[in-house]
Amino acid sequence: MKSVWHIIRTQHRYDRFYFWLGIFVALLPVAAGLLLLGVSGWFITAAAIAGLSGAFLNIFAPSALIRAFAIIRTAGRYGERVLTHDATFRFLTGFRNRLFASMAQRTSEGRRTGLLLNRLTLDIAVLDTVYLRLVVPLVMALVVAVSLLLVWSSISPLLLVTGAVFISAWGCLAIWTFVRSDTKNARRTDAALDAMRLRAADLAAGRRDLAIYGGLEAAAVTVLAAERRLAEAQEAEDLRTSKLTAGSTLLGQLFLAAILLVCLLEVGRGALTAALAVGLILVVMGLPEIFSMSLPGLAKLPRVALAAGRVMGLMKDRAEAGPAGDRASGPRDDTAAKAVLAFEDVSFGYPGAQRRVLEGLSFSVARGEILALAGRSGCGKSTVAAVAARLRNPGQGRVVLDGVDTGRIPEAELRRKITVIGQKAYLFNDTVAENLRIANPNASDTDLWRALEQAALAERISENPQGLQTILGEGGLGLSGGEQRRLALARAFLTRPALFVLDEMTEGLDAATAGDVLDRFLSYRGEAAVLMIAHRRQELERADRLLDLTAPHGGGNPSPETILSEFQ
Amino acid sequence: MKTKKEKIGKVAEDVGQGRGTAAAFGWPNEAESRRLKRAGKILAVSDLLWIAQAGLISWALGPLPAIFSAADASLSAESDLTLPALLAAAGIALVALLRVFLQNRAETVARQTARAIQSRARGDLLSIAATRSPSAAFPSSGAFAAHVTEQVDLLGPYYRNFEPQKLRLRLVPLGIVAASAVFSWLGALILIVCGPLIPVFMALIGLRAKAASERQQEELVRLSGSLLDRIKGLETLMLFGAIERTQRQIGDAGERFRTGTMRVLKIAFLSSTVLELFSALGIAFCAVYVGFSLLGDIQAGTWGEPLTFAQGLFILLLAPEFFAPLRAYAAAYHDRAGGLAARERLATLFPAEDNPKPLSLGAGTYEKADARQLSDPPAIEFRSVCISHQQRDVFKDFSLAIKPAETLLLEGPSGSGKTTLIDGILGFHEPDSGEILVDDAPAYALAAVLRRKVIWLGQSPRLFHGSLRANLLKAVDTPAAVTEDDLWQALRLAGAETLVQRLPRGLETPLGEDGFGLSVGEIRRVALARAAMRKDAVLLLADEPTASLDEETAADVISGLQTLCNGRTSIIATHDKGLRQIATRRIDLKSEGAVAGGRALA
Repeated sequence: MKSVWHIIRTQHRYDRFYFWLGIFVALLPVAAGLLLLGVSGWFITAAAIAGLSGAFLNIFAPSALIRAFAIIRTAGRYGERVLTHDATFRFLTGFRNRLFASMAQRTSEGRRTGLLLNRLTLDIAVLDTVYLRLVVPLVMALVVAVSLLLVWSSISPLLLVTGAVFISAWGCLAIWTFVRSDTKNARRTDAALDAMRLRAADLAAGRRDLAIYGGLEAAAVTVLAAERRLAEAQEAEDLRTSKLTAGSTLLGQLFLAAILLVCLLEVGRGALTAALAVGLILVVMGLPEIFSMSLPGLAKLPRVALAAGRVMGLMKDRAEAGPAGDRASGPRDDTAAKAVLAFEDVSFGYPGAQRRVLEGLSFSVARGEILALAGRSGCGKSTVAAVAARLRNPGQGRVVLDGVDTGRIPEAELRRKITVIGQKAYLFNDTVAENLRIANPNASDTDLWRALEQAALAERISENPQGLQTILGEGGLGLSGGEQRRLALARAFLTRPALFVLDEMTEGLDAATAGDVLDRFLSYRGEAAVLMIAHRRQELERADRLLDLTAPHGGGNPSPETILSEFQ
Repeated sequence: MKTKKEKIGKVAEDVGQGRGTAAAFGWPNEAESRRLKRAGKILAVSDLLWIAQAGLISWALGPLPAIFSAADASLSAESDLTLPALLAAAGIALVALLRVFLQNRAETVARQTARAIQSRARGDLLSIAATRSPSAAFPSSGAFAAHVTEQVDLLGPYYRNFEPQKLRLRLVPLGIVAASAVFSWLGALILIVCGPLIPVFMALIGLRAKAASERQQEELVRLSGSLLDRIKGLETLMLFGAIERTQRQIGDAGERFRTGTMRVLKIAFLSSTVLELFSALGIAFCAVYVGFSLLGDIQAGTWGEPLTFAQGLFILLLAPEFFAPLRAYAAAYHDRAGGLAARERLATLFPAEDNPKPLSLGAGTYEKADARQLSDPPAIEFRSVCISHQQRDVFKDFSLAIKPAETLLLEGPSGSGKTTLIDGILGFHEPDSGEILVDDAPAYALAAVLRRKVIWLGQSPRLFHGSLRANLLKAVDTPAAVTEDDLWQALRLAGAETLVQRLPRGLETPLGEDGFGLSVGEIRRVALARAAMRKDAVLLLADEPTASLDEETAADVISGLQTLCNGRTSIIATHDKGLRQIATRRIDLKSEGAVAGGRALA
């Protein structure tokens, strides 16, 4: 529940004026609606009395009031909806931006899965419930309750007591929902839905593997088990909603019965006029609609709390993370200064793993040099690339770029100095131009075509009528693996760093393509140094020097230094 | 499994909405349609009970004007009013209990029916997934998962919220009009005139809203898609120092989306404002009519006698309930749009024309197959086999005999039928003619037991969501009997021991979408370890086991395979010459053409 409060406070801080304006405007149609009912009831009763007794009745004032209330009610409802929705969407837009910023700060902590991300967008969407379906209706219910209690108390004590009993009963119902809204069921629903999604995806993707290991039918049965858990959890949530609705409806109806009785008794005692009594009864008829406006929000509360908790969790971590990366470092080192990049006794291991991936690794890449990092798959080559590019922080030791500990280099400067070309080129679902301009936002179209030309991709892109505006990625222009790699290369050809890090750039390409991509890269790189993660002969042949990562790990003993071998 | 398909087909016909194909998912069957209708009826009855309550209120309040207009009667007021007040209050409370009970009942019936329809739709989708041959075309994992989860989810609100409203909308306004007409035909007429005007005006505005909201829906999908896209590619953005720029872009896109959404919502709000305006007008006309009748200014509209206060109040109390079902119907209308669209999409998931031959993989086959135990390496024979795949002859009159415990290397360029041959032995393909025999029994009949007695390594092996341990244990029938040593032995054999030791949580490391990313080579080695868990296997089938591995890893895999081939009938399809050292015989599928039958090369 705390996280829901937090969201409310955040939205309040985001734009106080809109926050309160929305609530104020929302009050108008509600008040107008109740007054409309009350005045109408009063009016027809008064008309009936006048009709029977022949007394004079001013019909103009009440009918003007009725018209005014009807207009305020209809127009106010429209204005209220527009205002409150606009306020909420303003807030959510800002919120989305902040969330992206905090996610960006946390990239170094490992990759986020698609599953988590999908849930995140759903979570943000759920948050509009907080203001629209909880804050606004509950404040309105409160204001209406207090005003009515004041009105009733000025008429008769019996009326006040009856009204107070029912309104507090309704309040108890709302409070009960708040108190009892544990997020356990919402969590169960999410877990079951995730399990169902993952298992269904497995069932579709690895069909041969499943048919042999475990059986397709058995796999389908596990999906159905998740679906059963989902149904149970959803049923529990629905039952809660159902109880809430039934309770609220029943309270409204019983209140009507009670108020009818009380009003007639008071009329009998002479404490009330007939017309006022009918007016009061009709006002109570309008109450359930107002009080039930917060029901959808209350019913969704566990789900909202869960989503708010997850989202706020991400935001909070960001605050705690603080200005990371500013680790202490030794003085500037002259031997290291000669090298573009130097690893000094660097170790890295995943928390909880039996063995570390890197153990006391030291090496350096000189200016203009091409160093190839070799070794069997899984020996930590890619980890070296990630540590060099500060995607991961070394557990021990330090990484020095141009004589400065990478931990102390400002982000923007570091990214200018190092360009990484990975084995998986991420293509954004956007135009070719936008995909390329990630590397350099100021590049002109001519620059882009030149980079594409250098990556031997210009022809393929110009085949398309939209040219640079062709959409790539999911649902867009399907580039083959080799073409994607070339696009990543073209991206890199828009930068001028001091060091290129190639992480298996040619993985999965056939020999001819790989050689072509490599040569194009090497002719572009100019004076920049290259750290090349490789296992292809073609790549190793083009290196100035070779560093074998596997050798020192052979016996599993940590080795203080690695064997450098000259490669001819 | 056939019965299930027949059921699917039957359901579709029962609904009788012109969907006779097997690809209809998420339709209610006859009983379910009836239950949804019943929920609507119960809801309508609960609504109509308001007539009784309104009657009680009017009856109790009816005498008030008469008492108050006769100035001297105020003394008798208390006794005159108390008894009717008590009776009316008690009556209203009792009816209220009944109404709430009925509403709850209707909701429960609708909810449970909707859930049953959803469960059945999921079951039907999964049964197709379980029975369709792994070699047949299948939707992408993302699409299939989205259909099983989200698309089926969308059916729920449609059946639960919308369907019962249809009947409610048909019954309740009629009942209200009839009840009003008992006392005043003019009152009823006002409602009748105002009611149908609402849908007309709403439709006019709704048309604009629909087009705008569809555009906006696309925009929303694009926005959340692009946010996801940027977050997935965060690493790339970071490496190019493009985070701040992207942040600005996302901010701008969000702002554009907000203004667009507000544009759509304004139209949508306008349409509900029209609904409210007309219902307010309807009620106001009733009030004016009743008011002036009571003042004596209007005498028309009744069946003779002038309208009394009780009758006028009754008509006025009923008027809002006339419009209530219309509002509920309009509110549930977007559930309908979502549900219908989802049902359409579900129907197109499996194109009916490529329905494969049903596979013999029922519980019955398992039992029958168990009777035949395969405890020795089998002989395998292809006898004049013809298999065509996607209108292309892969094998034509192909014959090949493989002796027990032989290690056969299948060579030939891609497309020459290596994978199809292996699939044929496992029963993933049934020959169009000819026979594939395993120990003289047809392969597809033995498929169930064969699949549990084979060491199989696919071309692009896939590990499943779960821990690495769970993935290895998928290969064995009795996971409880597997020791820690067995697991590590299999990993060692596959050259995956150190790889696993370096993982964050060793054997407990979660794999798959939610877990740790392994490279292609690493996945292949873990998959080989999984295959090696089957110590009692009699058959080994491997499809390109060394593809995309570096030389050292390939050497590890080859030596592991050598150990595993020992004492088993083994068939390895490969381009890799390194594997020739472990083969006892090689055939080239291309040179001899699957057409004439393989010829021994060595």
